Amino acid sequence: MTPDAQDSPSVGDEKLTVDLEFDLNGSPERHSVPTSTTVLDLLRNNCGKRGVRGSCERSVCGACTVLIDDVPVAACSTFAFEIDGTRVETVEGLAAKDGTLSAQQQAFRECGGFQCGFCTSGMLMMTTALLRENPEPDREEIREWISSNTCRCTGYEMILESVERAAQLGRTPQANGEPQ
Amino acid sequence: MTKTPSPFTAAQDAPIVGRNLPRLDATAKVTGRAVYTVDIDRPGMLHAKVLRSPYAHARVLSIDAEAARRLEGVTAVLTRDEIKGLNCYGTYVKDQPIVATDLVRYVGDVVAAVAAIDEHTAFAALDLITVEYEQLEAVFDPEAALDPSAPLIFPAEPFAAFPEYGDGASGNARSAHNVSYEFRYQTGPEDAWDECDHVFEDTFAFSRMNHMHLEPFVTVAEATADEIEVWTSTQSPFPMRKELAYVFGLPENRIRVNVPLLGGAFGAKNGPKTETIAIRLSQLSAGRPVRYCMTTEEVFLTLSQHDAVLTVKSGLKADGEFVARQSRVLLNGGAYADASPLVAEKAGYRMPGAYRWKRIDSVCQAVITNTVPAGAFRGFGATQATWASERQVDLIAERLGLDPFDLRLKNMKDLGEDFVPGETPIDSDLKHGLNLVADAIGYRDRNRSGNRGMGVAIGLKDGGGVNKPAQARVKVTTSGDVFLNCALIEMGQGGHSALCQIVAEVLACDPQRVKFARVDTDSNPFDQGTNASSGIAVMGRAVLQAAERVRSAVLDFAAEHLELERESISLANWQVIDAEGSSYELAPLIMNGFGGTGFEFTGDGFYKARSSRRAPLEAPCIFWEIGWAAAEVAVDPETGKVELLQLVVSGDAGKVVNKLGCRGQDEGAAVFGLAQALFEELRYDNGELLNAEALLYRVPLAEDIPRRFWSITQEQGHGAGPFGAKGMGEGGMLPIAPAIAQAIADATGAQLTSLPMTPQRVYNAIRDAQATKGRG
Repeated sequence: MTPDAQDSPSVGDEKLTVDLEFDLNGSPERHSVPTSTTVLDLLRNNCGKRGVRGSCERSVCGACTVLIDDVPVAACSTFAFEIDGTRVETVEGLAAKDGTLSAQQQAFRECGGFQCGFCTSGMLMMTTALLRENPEPDREEIREWISSNTCRCTGYEMILESVERAAQLGRTPQANGEPQ
Repeated sequence: MTKTPSPFTAAQDAPIVGRNLPRLDATAKVTGRAVYTVDIDRPGMLHAKVLRSPYAHARVLSIDAEAARRLEGVTAVLTRDEIKGLNCYGTYVKDQPIVATDLVRYVGDVVAAVAAIDEHTAFAALDLITVEYEQLEAVFDPEAALDPSAPLIFPAEPFAAFPEYGDGASGNARSAHNVSYEFRYQTGPEDAWDECDHVFEDTFAFSRMNHMHLEPFVTVAEATADEIEVWTSTQSPFPMRKELAYVFGLPENRIRVNVPLLGGAFGAKNGPKTETIAIRLSQLSAGRPVRYCMTTEEVFLTLSQHDAVLTVKSGLKADGEFVARQSRVLLNGGAYADASPLVAEKAGYRMPGAYRWKRIDSVCQAVITNTVPAGAFRGFGATQATWASERQVDLIAERLGLDPFDLRLKNMKDLGEDFVPGETPIDSDLKHGLNLVADAIGYRDRNRSGNRGMGVAIGLKDGGGVNKPAQARVKVTTSGDVFLNCALIEMGQGGHSALCQIVAEVLACDPQRVKFARVDTDSNPFDQGTNASSGIAVMGRAVLQAAERVRSAVLDFAAEHLELERESISLANWQVIDAEGSSYELAPLIMNGFGGTGFEFTGDGFYKARSSRRAPLEAPCIFWEIGWAAAEVAVDPETGKVELLQLVVSGDAGKVVNKLGCRGQDEGAAVFGLAQALFEELRYDNGELLNAEALLYRVPLAEDIPRRFWSITQEQGHGAGPFGAKGMGEGGMLPIAPAIAQAIADATGAQLTSLPMTPQRVYNAIRDAQATKGRG
């Protein structure tokens, strides 16, 4: 369990479980979990994806952002049963299996688009979704997307630059190992 | 001489310090592999949850936890019955019990805690605890709390210890009703007031924010009656160890504090938060590991910034020359003292600002109220002081018909001038910085049409901590792989990378070869904590010395074994270079010299500013941390809405160690200031905290940042840290709100004195300004 599962006041009603199958970063996953389980719980505790960060638990801060069928979603406020049959992507799926960083990861690394790093997984997933939707976003579009997520450290300017750089790296795949 | 040198060869020609290097933690953070305390998982780990007071002030008559104790899956329930014989904690004032004993003092005060097999069960157990309270009258406002008729929040005086000050400074506990600490600083002749042609007195209000670090307070503890080990999100592992030893009555070598990466702190993570509860529950659960991770709602109920009321009286000559300043600051310290005494000291001490005064008389009181405890927060009293100090300069300029920028320059201290007697002289050219930001934004040629205006401000704080010692150790393996071992906490600022760069610079090696060893109090040399922007200027000096000692030991060894003149050889890429430029691989040399499986060269470093009775605050400060800012706004007079068009912030790094790091510190701090200026605050309504959760508490987002926002990192070269470096963590926050306030005044004539400058306040201030103008 994590700090994120905290709704039910009594212990007895955890009996109801749901069977799930979904694709996680390209691999099949099967789990049977209580119906009250959130996607954040499931990914962190059942699937070992500790790169998915929980913070506000109110789908405000975006630290827990993951992609479900390409759409950025707050894992803290989505029930696990909702992802049955979907394709889920987390920060752990961005780099190639040999460790080569994706364009987004390279860009955040190079431009210093992080400090404490707690928002970074969510920012990277938001960036991934944006660049799939529009590989050449202008700064205002980037600002609009990134405004879904909170970063308390950077003041955002270096994150905006990181996303711009990610777009640039994504357009020239030879400049990096593996953009996706 | 077989090993090929590493491909990194530029060390001797190009310095490592100052380069635009990616941080050493970058890959871990962009791949999600970085480990924080929230990620710590121990076998058999239990989970804790806490019952909090629904009342601001009440007597706890009875607690019935029997049903909770009987619930299946519950291993321990912690109430006042389970903390008998244990001490209270607190930075100076030991006033905070692990759980409430006789009184609860604010909504959210901890009454009981439960450990269970999962959080779900722990929550269920909390519902089974019955607490009977007798409600008491509460007081929320610091001025009201001073009234002798207000309820006394601590009827018995808790144990406390305070610093011994030097010239001009004094401290006094319990100086007035509900005051936890009063700091006073005086210097110069009292009759300076007689020289003044004008005397102005103004009062300013400063709002209260939450730190809103994204990683909550969290601890995993494994503890018995004799031994404690914690993994915890703290900025101060050694002070934490000392505090835990005091609370639990154990020797310090029976307590081990491990600190993974921190997901932000901003001052909040000093002193126990989740630690004591997790430890006590583990002790009560036969030593099983207990994890206590707060929710964001609980974080809001645990610590905040100090809101403040600041009254400033300043005397000037007719030509605008500053002469004397008297100030009285009331800080709302909340229900427990936490860091309030030190914040009071710093807020009071920093009231003179960047200016020359013949006479200073500053008093600051930290007042106990029935609100969330207030403690260390980025800026640490300087943000409050700068708001009042800078704002009054603008008000005075308007009254005397002077340009506020010119009035600042006229009275601003010079590089090398004393801040106050006995203190470290000002180590930045303040006027240069002010001109820099003014020119960057186009202040002198500004166009004020369309309700636009500009403002410029400066803030400063004595940086590097009070009387702070730091120790570090550097060791190098036979093959030249380097460990840096010190207790600097990485909480986002990039301190680990910067310190590794300093080591790499001294040893002339690739920074990638320097590993920052994990932080734990059994293995690390001592440090007083990662706070007060001390990482580079204080710990950096200890690290520099440790690295230099290692280099020296290596060169001594090489000179002896190679039979070379010690002074003629140098070190680069783990090779010794002689006077002719020939290089010798060190690894085989060390293997020959020491035999066996090799050897590690080790060097220890230490740094602390010398103490001085002449220095008002025990020791002169390490450096002056400065923030300069200039802002341009457009104000809608119909709605009071302020649009920030441009914001430039500048700090003086002295000497840049890591460029991205310096920039990130200034910009991040400036955005804290921007939020405080315009919208972010904890909203209280008659003692009730209205927005203590993420949905209602507004923090800045990318869309709140002006389209023209940038930072200028100065390198003036006068810092006391390695290579002339200074700390950068807080200065950028200080001048932002006053710069924006003056920009609003420049645009509309409205003079704001309260934060945040919401549309409602701006609208009202515009109406006031128009009414005054109409009368005039």
